[in-house]
Amino acid sequence: MMPKHCFLGLLIVFLTGATETQPAHVSLKPQKVQFQSRNFHNVLHWQPGSPLASNGSIYFVQYKMYGQRQWKDKTDCWGTTVLFCDLTNETLDPYEPYYGRVMMAWAGSHSAWTRTTRFTPWWETKLDPPAVTITRVNASLRVFLRPPELPNRNQTGKNTSMENYYNLVYRVFIINNSLEKEQKAYEGTQRAVEMEGLTPHSSYCVVAEMYQPMFDRRSPRSKERCVQIP
Amino acid sequence: MAILQKPMSFSLMGILAASCLLLIALWAQEADALPINSQCKLEVSNFQQPYIVNRTFMLAQEASLADNNTDVRLIGEELFRGVNVKDQCYLMKQVLNFTLEDVLLPQSDRFQPYMQEVVSFLTKLSNQLSPCHISGNDQHIQKNVRELKETVKQLGESGEIKAIGELDLLFMSLRKACI
Repeated sequence: MMPKHCFLGLLIVFLTGATETQPAHVSLKPQKVQFQSRNFHNVLHWQPGSPLASNGSIYFVQYKMYGQRQWKDKTDCWGTTVLFCDLTNETLDPYEPYYGRVMMAWAGSHSAWTRTTRFTPWWETKLDPPAVTITRVNASLRVFLRPPELPNRNQTGKNTSMENYYNLVYRVFIINNSLEKEQKAYEGTQRAVEMEGLTPHSSYCVVAEMYQPMFDRRSPRSKERCVQIP
Repeated sequence: MAILQKPMSFSLMGILAASCLLLIALWAQEADALPINSQCKLEVSNFQQPYIVNRTFMLAQEASLADNNTDVRLIGEELFRGVNVKDQCYLMKQVLNFTLEDVLLPQSDRFQPYMQEVVSFLTKLSNQLSPCHISGNDQHIQKNVRELKETVKQLGESGEIKAIGELDLLFMSLRKACI
């Protein structure tokens, strides 16, 4: 009888012990590890696994391209105390899939890794509108477009324009204020667009957006720029 | 003189005929080669339909959530290793057909509603590539394709999920290789 009880007791201790360490272990793991991508600037964000452990904890970040066996340490974020890490330079090819992962260390112990889902910058990035300036030349308008700040490309994309490399086009809309009518005046990769045949004595406003034709996705719109045609 | 001239003109004729034959042979070879290359081609409009592009990427994303093997990639550098740029569309044709027959059809009741739409889109591309062949030796291409197939087979069901998770890469590679 005694040995049997002992065995049961041990088993209970073992089981409860296991169930106690398990949640503690899990809760240390960083949560919501994900890329937030804006204009192809790819920043890894996460949250502490446990609110108790948020003081004095440090984080370790690794990344790799999908298909690689080795994870690479991100040295700038190796032992960081903040909850984000810029991996733009490590995820430069917008068409490649990447992973990131984060581990936390706190009070002498460390968590397991928490990995992101597969991240392809081109599919997931959110674009800002282009900057627009306009000048009037007699009865026509010149529109100059500047893309949002995109990361410097690696070697593979050097001999093509920024717009073509990222598969982006500009869309320019013109609004005739007296008619209150909006028209798409341009869609393409040029940064300078000329608009002719405008009606004299009327005012026009111009807005633009970045557009990804393959996904039919658009950025928010730029600020309106307006001009009076004499 | 007449006796002397005859064989000469004969040999001249012979040379002419021979060079004519050679020219015909060369021309025939070229004519043979031309359609073969041009048929490994897809219209760019196939890749400009945002609805189906989004569906393909969404399907890939959903399947990739179920793929925990981050080390093994089917469509990547290794698949194209040693394959000429001009033969890459032919290579992708093989990968596309394998994906349709051995991956998407067995898994066709999963990942709805994306699956059905993406399968019919990819089937259309496959039909467009049916006249695509290459002349000469394609052993190294078949070797790369075989390695991809073996990886999928080895991984079993999770290999099929992996292949579905890479449909975005399949799409982008077809686009790059065939337009």
